[in-house]
Amino acid sequence: MDHEGTREQLELAAVEPGGLERLMAGDTPNAQAVAAHLVGCPSCTDELVRLQRAATLIRGSVRELPPADLKERTLAAIRAEGVRRPLVVATPAAAGAGAAGTTAAASGVPVMASPSTAASGTDRRTRRTPRWLGWAATIAAAVLLSVVTTTAVVNNRVDNQLAAQNVEIAALEKVSVDTMGVAAQPDAEHVALRSGTDPALTGDLVYSPSSTALVVTAAGLAQPRAGQQYLCWVQVGGTREQVGRMFFSTHLAYWTGPVPALSGLSDGATFGVSLDSVDKDPVLVGDL
Amino acid sequence: MNGREGATDDVAVVRRMAAGSEAALETLYDRYASAIFAAVYRLTSDRGTAEEVVQETFLALWNRAETFDPAAGSLAAWLHAIARNRTIDRLRAAGRRPSMVALSSAAAPDEDATQALERLVSDGAIVGGARPVAGPEQAFESAGVQEAIGTALASMPEDERTVILLAYQEELSQSEIAARLGWPLGTVKTRTRRALHRLRKGLGAEFGPGAELDVVPVPIGEDR
Repeated sequence: MDHEGTREQLELAAVEPGGLERLMAGDTPNAQAVAAHLVGCPSCTDELVRLQRAATLIRGSVRELPPADLKERTLAAIRAEGVRRPLVVATPAAAGAGAAGTTAAASGVPVMASPSTAASGTDRRTRRTPRWLGWAATIAAAVLLSVVTTTAVVNNRVDNQLAAQNVEIAALEKVSVDTMGVAAQPDAEHVALRSGTDPALTGDLVYSPSSTALVVTAAGLAQPRAGQQYLCWVQVGGTREQVGRMFFSTHLAYWTGPVPALSGLSDGATFGVSLDSVDKDPVLVGDL
Repeated sequence: MNGREGATDDVAVVRRMAAGSEAALETLYDRYASAIFAAVYRLTSDRGTAEEVVQETFLALWNRAETFDPAAGSLAAWLHAIARNRTIDRLRAAGRRPSMVALSSAAAPDEDATQALERLVSDGAIVGGARPVAGPEQAFESAGVQEAIGTALASMPEDERTVILLAYQEELSQSEIAARLGWPLGTVKTRTRRALHRLRKGLGAEFGPGAELDVVPVPIGEDR
């Protein structure tokens, strides 16, 4: 075998998986011919060494390149599974039970600021009372305060901070509307959520079995690390079903959306929030 | 665009994406997907996992754009943190341990080794360390290799790029490539050799003649 023939065999083998190793094993007539040429040809032997090194580098680098169609597949996945944008108020419900009905970004600051709920520390179920009017007034005040604060921010902060504030304001507005909407239902119920591990962690939940709308807020819940999320679930008859996931604004965590499982709900159901998996111990829990 | 300009521009692009711009999302994908894919692949040695993590990372970026705080760190660091957590979750689920990787490979594009080390230690992501092994692996870790290969691949004819990607990424033999593409085996071999020559030439240009990576010129026949 001559130089050209040998180098062709070496190069083609270098691109095949394990090709050079098989060629060097010399167990085929072709491989034996290459080996015979290499014995008497320092030039081709040097070329083999060069080729081995280059092929290792090339193989490693090429394998680290993403496939060309990954971009389109990723964009398609985001179109199918991502939140609708511009989102502002659509995000929580979009991540929830999948229904397109009631949407809201829940603030709940006013809810959590309620002394009667913050002081309880245990599950409590209360029928709708005129207290909701106080809630609504508190919520409206919080929204107004946020708008005023944001107005000041508009004048002083850079665009990205302003954009974040706008998102938060919109969330506060929508959760206020949702909370008042749920509270106006004749069967609205309020549940104080408890944490078994962190006394500073509190939460409130309001829901209506007839409309299946639910708003949950939490104070003291730290934002999860990148790649993690807090999942909202409802447990009925020993089976937990994810209904949404918590979103975070500056001072609170929230989720709001429809929960079909609430329809015709009987006693014994539980609502909870767990990190990453509904099967994990809840960081917040309350009996519905 | 240098790192600082890119980081500044990232904020504006993320803002446009949050407003619903898919073009902005594509810009960020083009900017960071390759680095994320490579980092995950180094940890897992599994291209399928790397593809899934890239998809999940950009889905998280799209869904949670409002939670990105440029004051807390760069977008690159944020995306790499998401990808790293998703990767580790998958490795744990599979009962595997992350591979040994060079510190430089775990760093975000705008981080130096010290910054990366501090971040990884604070995250509890480092479970051990060792003196780096000298040799070809060091060159492999070099961003210059990746760039040289990427440039050579981008500039070569489509048919040559196709055969080299099928060979190295899908690990197909030349016969399998010929069958897949419906090309004569001789054509596949010729295009494979040409592609290999271009890649080696790119490496030789990157590391210089002393690196002995470039090919000794040998005539290659025309397509058969």
